[in-house]
Amino acid sequence: MLELIRRLHFLLTRRRRERELDDELAFHREMADRAAATPLGDSVRIREDARETWGWMWLDRLAQDLAYAVRLLVRSPGFALAAVATLGVGIGVNVAAFGLFNLIALKPLPVRDPDSLLRFERRAPEAYASDLAYPHMTFLADHATTVSSVLAIHQARLATDRGEKPIRVHFVTANYFADLGAGAAAGRLVQPGLDEVADAGPAVVLSHAYWTRQFGASATIVGATMRLNGRPATVLGVASEEFSGLTLGSPDVWAPIRQQPYFLEGSRLLEDMSAETAGVKMWARRRPGVAPASVEAELAALTATLRAQYPDQLWTDETLPSFPGGYATMGRGTSRGTGSPPDDSALAFLALGGALVLLILCVACANLGGLLLARGVSRERELSIRVAVGAGAGRLVRQLFTESVLLGLLGAASGVALSSVLLRAIAIVSDAPEWLDLSPDWRVLLFAAGLGMLSSLLFGLAPALQVVRRRHGTRRLRQALVAVQVAASAVLLVVSGLLLRAMERGSSTPPGFNYEQVVAIAPRLSDYGFSGGASQVYIDALTRRLAAHPAAAAVAIATVPPLGGVRSVARVERNGAPVDVHLNRVDPNYFRTMRIPILRGRGLAESDARAVVVSESLALRYWPAEDPLGQQYDGHTVIGVAGSARTAALQDSDAVEAYYLRTPDDLPVAVVLVRSTADPESLAAAAAGVAASIDPKVYADIRLLKSAFDERIRQTKMSALAVAGLGVSAMALACLGIVGLVAYTVSQRTREIGIRMALGAPPIHVLSVVLGQLSHPVMGGLIGGMLAAAGLSLLLRRELYGVSHLDPVAYLSAAGVFVAVAVAAALLPARRALKVDPLRALRTD
Amino acid sequence: MPMRTTPKPEMPPGALALLVLRVLQGGALHGYAIAQRIHLLSSEVLKVEEGSLYPALQRMLLKGWVKADWGISETNRKVRFYRLTPLGRKQLEVELSDFDRLTEAIRSVLRTA
Repeated sequence: MLELIRRLHFLLTRRRRERELDDELAFHREMADRAAATPLGDSVRIREDARETWGWMWLDRLAQDLAYAVRLLVRSPGFALAAVATLGVGIGVNVAAFGLFNLIALKPLPVRDPDSLLRFERRAPEAYASDLAYPHMTFLADHATTVSSVLAIHQARLATDRGEKPIRVHFVTANYFADLGAGAAAGRLVQPGLDEVADAGPAVVLSHAYWTRQFGASATIVGATMRLNGRPATVLGVASEEFSGLTLGSPDVWAPIRQQPYFLEGSRLLEDMSAETAGVKMWARRRPGVAPASVEAELAALTATLRAQYPDQLWTDETLPSFPGGYATMGRGTSRGTGSPPDDSALAFLALGGALVLLILCVACANLGGLLLARGVSRERELSIRVAVGAGAGRLVRQLFTESVLLGLLGAASGVALSSVLLRAIAIVSDAPEWLDLSPDWRVLLFAAGLGMLSSLLFGLAPALQVVRRRHGTRRLRQALVAVQVAASAVLLVVSGLLLRAMERGSSTPPGFNYEQVVAIAPRLSDYGFSGGASQVYIDALTRRLAAHPAAAAVAIATVPPLGGVRSVARVERNGAPVDVHLNRVDPNYFRTMRIPILRGRGLAESDARAVVVSESLALRYWPAEDPLGQQYDGHTVIGVAGSARTAALQDSDAVEAYYLRTPDDLPVAVVLVRSTADPESLAAAAAGVAASIDPKVYADIRLLKSAFDERIRQTKMSALAVAGLGVSAMALACLGIVGLVAYTVSQRTREIGIRMALGAPPIHVLSVVLGQLSHPVMGGLIGGMLAAAGLSLLLRRELYGVSHLDPVAYLSAAGVFVAVAVAAALLPARRALKVDPLRALRTD
Repeated sequence: MPMRTTPKPEMPPGALALLVLRVLQGGALHGYAIAQRIHLLSSEVLKVEEGSLYPALQRMLLKGWVKADWGISETNRKVRFYRLTPLGRKQLEVELSDFDRLTEAIRSVLRTA
């Protein structure tokens, strides 16, 4: 260690030390002369040897090599530009992808001390939930000593008096803004001392985006009154533009959580301990030096104490696992269920995206490798001169690698620039929150530099090998590089083909239920504290009046609305494998309304409290060899088999469903579904009026299933477009590689071609000689690429709706397009072969 | 690029450092004096080449075994004097005992074989 410091010190004082050494040697020489001793050796060499012991010679050589590399690049600006641009595309796409990942998973939210924040969920051996009951949260906040503060959010959508769609409201604990260190753009924010007291008036804080959109960023809004669900509230102020809150999607408005019952009259959020109604998402700030595990232990112990009072609402052995709280969790919804929570598929999806963008880099590197090989041929003279004056293979390879690294770093720099443009475009398209800071941070820069170094190793390998092996024929190597490019771009083309096909199929074939004509009306009565009986009255009135509407073909009730982003999943074991069953509690009209066919047996009737209807997919998984009718499932008798309908998991073609009869207890969370015979939008408008006339304080959320469906399809479409963009740019790069290979072949074999033509070979024969070089790498690359794509699509199928992994049309069209483009690319330089003048060709050399 | 051939060692490898450390035990010396002292003390058998002495001194500076200070030579010229550091003294002990063990081992082989 000390030695290292000394070494560094020597480096810094190098010039002086060299001078001192020279002095010393001069003195030695003087003395030796005086003593008439043997003459001194070569002083330059002694100095070099002495310097070598300092251990910094490599730095000198590096500086030398670098200066040389810069000179070379400046001398051939065309090559330099092509190389940096190619690499810039390859690296830029990867840096953009990493930048997205960084924003979501690695970069803490811009709040005060994000590292001490923990987010909590409920977990028990047989159950899980993302939300806690409000009294549970306050009990923990009052008694926990390992945390300094507890924050909570209750999310809701409320109607405004401004004619807009319902806006997103986050009801937050009063300490929310102060604890997160938020600033105000106008007015003030919610404060514990002012807004938690009993006589505090109803108040809201606007988000910066909502303030700008709705009020033109006018400061006069502070102190004004705005209506939410018809209830007046004072606008306290506006949060600053940089304030993110604790969720990725920012709300439009914040309000103190204690005032939630004011806006939703009758709401029992603040006293209800049951897990069935919506609760709060909880964060806590651990005290300095306290490990998350100790916080978890304390909260679990406190929960056990509380369970003595609420044995039915809290679970046995309930724990509150913690997660890092200062990061933007990706649109984490509300979930609860039995068994263990389903695996987070986001990781697999990220890995898939990463693999696809790495392919582009792969193509870019192979392409550049080919380019460098071609340059290597023209530099043969220079290299042999350097060998002749005594450069060893090691020194030459080092020189070549220095050039590659320089190119790699330049490519990384242009990649960072490109990625900034890409990220900004993505942010605009995806409507990203304004507090997201898109400029590259140190992680992104480090990643880009690392990628530049890595790719310089990859593309620098080919020319280095060429020097070491002292073989100047590079045909094989170049063919291999073309094969790599073809394979990687084939994968991208096939995957984008699969996605495009999925999109096409998604918009042409039904997902097993009718969505075009159905309107979902969610009054969310539980939010207003409706009991089962009161809900019965409301829902009965709503269904009766909707059924009377001339455009209504059928009306039904369900607890899990189709395409509503809510899931109720039971994980069961069957034949050793876990099966995630999507549950729904519905009324007898459900199947008719949703146009889900009953394939065997019959549908549910009002008397079927102990019966269940299963989907065809569930029947096949559970009783592959038996008759499902009459079987027992989860204590219920199977009375019918319905067509598979992926109402909750549109993208998962392995999803299975089970339907039970709804009970009066389900009605507070029930959704009413209406199928229209005419335009569903006019029916939706009518439904809003009907709902308002039954109980004016309830603001029902009304959605067209079609728009929810289109949103899902849009996601697939965006992915398809992005991958298609990657595929086309990869193909363009690969074609450049092919052009290079053919041009090289022609120039290398001009003589041979000349002889062949002199002997009377027809043009087609000459062409086949030139193009024969291509058939192996292109074919090999295509086949390899297809196989890799087949593997990748297996993963893709689970994530995006309608992707089939063995779609011959996608594979064949990708191959067809590729071969056509490759031949066109090859013919361009190959024409030169036909123009070869036999006489001149024979005379050269 | 300079061509390089390794200098022929005048003495067994490692011995030079030991000798330099040993002659410095008597006090600080400059490079030429170190070479002279070794030459004289070995009854003019060992000759220290400048080509190996100065790189060796640089290496010892790096290791922290010796320190160099500027002083005035007997010929009235500014020159660098090398002296042992505590670390160098320890190193000398180690090398001496290693050397003793080695020569003892060689001797016993020569005696009995």
